[in-house]
Amino acid sequence: MEFNDNFPSYETMAQHSEEEGTTKRKELWKVFFILSAITIVELIIGFYPGFFERMTVSTGIPMLKIIFIGGTLAKAAYIVLSFMHLGHEVKTLRYVIIAPYVFFIIYLSFIALNEGLYSDNYKATMDKNVMEHSQIKGAETPAASTTEAHH
Amino acid sequence: MSSHSATLNDNTAWDGGKSPLGVSYGKMMMWFFLVSDALSFGGLLVAYGFMRHKYPEVWPDPSKVFTHFPGTHASIPLAYVGLMTFILILSSVTMVLAVEAGQRKDKKAVEKWMLLTIIGGLMFVGSQAWEWYNFIVGSHDGAVRTIFEDGKWIEKTIHGANLRYNEYGLPVFANFFFFITGFHGFHVFSGVVINFIIYVNVIKGTYEKRGHYEMVEKVGLYWHFVDLVWVFVFTFFYLL
Repeated sequence: MEFNDNFPSYETMAQHSEEEGTTKRKELWKVFFILSAITIVELIIGFYPGFFERMTVSTGIPMLKIIFIGGTLAKAAYIVLSFMHLGHEVKTLRYVIIAPYVFFIIYLSFIALNEGLYSDNYKATMDKNVMEHSQIKGAETPAASTTEAHH
Repeated sequence: MSSHSATLNDNTAWDGGKSPLGVSYGKMMMWFFLVSDALSFGGLLVAYGFMRHKYPEVWPDPSKVFTHFPGTHASIPLAYVGLMTFILILSSVTMVLAVEAGQRKDKKAVEKWMLLTIIGGLMFVGSQAWEWYNFIVGSHDGAVRTIFEDGKWIEKTIHGANLRYNEYGLPVFANFFFFITGFHGFHVFSGVVINFIIYVNVIKGTYEKRGHYEMVEKVGLYWHFVDLVWVFVFTFFYLL
């Protein structure tokens, strides 16, 4: 059976007049300046990370990471909602696209925070070889110095 | 949004009397494709994150690896990747302006902005090639590494990185770098090709005859998605 779409046409519905275009363009440039500003702030913090690296929130996560991830999510929101026009689509479409990621991110955060402990234990016992061979020579690894002592 | 549903009438409604999602078939499918594509990138970045936190001691510091800037030998961390990000955001703006011009059926403006978007995309791919070149060639002095060659472990000076050796630290860092930025770069390249096809169609007046420029909107969605992914790669690969 051929797929025959006989209910046109959402395409022409999106069209707008010259005046509407002017306000729309103004908004788009505004979003561009916000995106650039966030990027520039992130770069400046990236050049001089010291202060934010030492400053931690109560869980011990450096402020730096929170700022960078927050900035990224803000930029992502502006791109998706404004540039990709999702903010102006019907509510159902918005949630169909955004909701899977909300669950995905919650799930992954849980895995990272919970199972990360296992990864720490695993590292200490199983990965000595990898660590040893990836170290830059001159900076002695504890493993290398113990082998020296045996000889 | 409410004005959107108000414009629905008997001509534009589905059989049930209205549209469940209020968009055309093609646009909806482009969105669904992007949702699935984002999952691939999500998987790669999550894998990167887990590996990075497994080997924090030997993980290279990106701000010490990517320090090159064209025209100078000074080491300037983050500047070049900042420039690349700026180019991509700028090309995203020109794309959305092409979409906007299409909604006014302003053919000349669509042509202009599409062309600028294509140029921005090519500049980005070129910048990425330069970044890869510097990463592969590596520093002048190199670094001594213990590597596995001809059946035994030997010490050797390594310059730059490839899939087996990495001057800057753990080889898996280089593998992730090549795979993630390569996958993204290939998306950009595909985007440039698709943009170019649409650009030719705009010049030929295909969409003028059709009565709407929705194809520009659809490639626009793809192009913004590429920009969106780069925002995440930029943060998780270079900044953190």
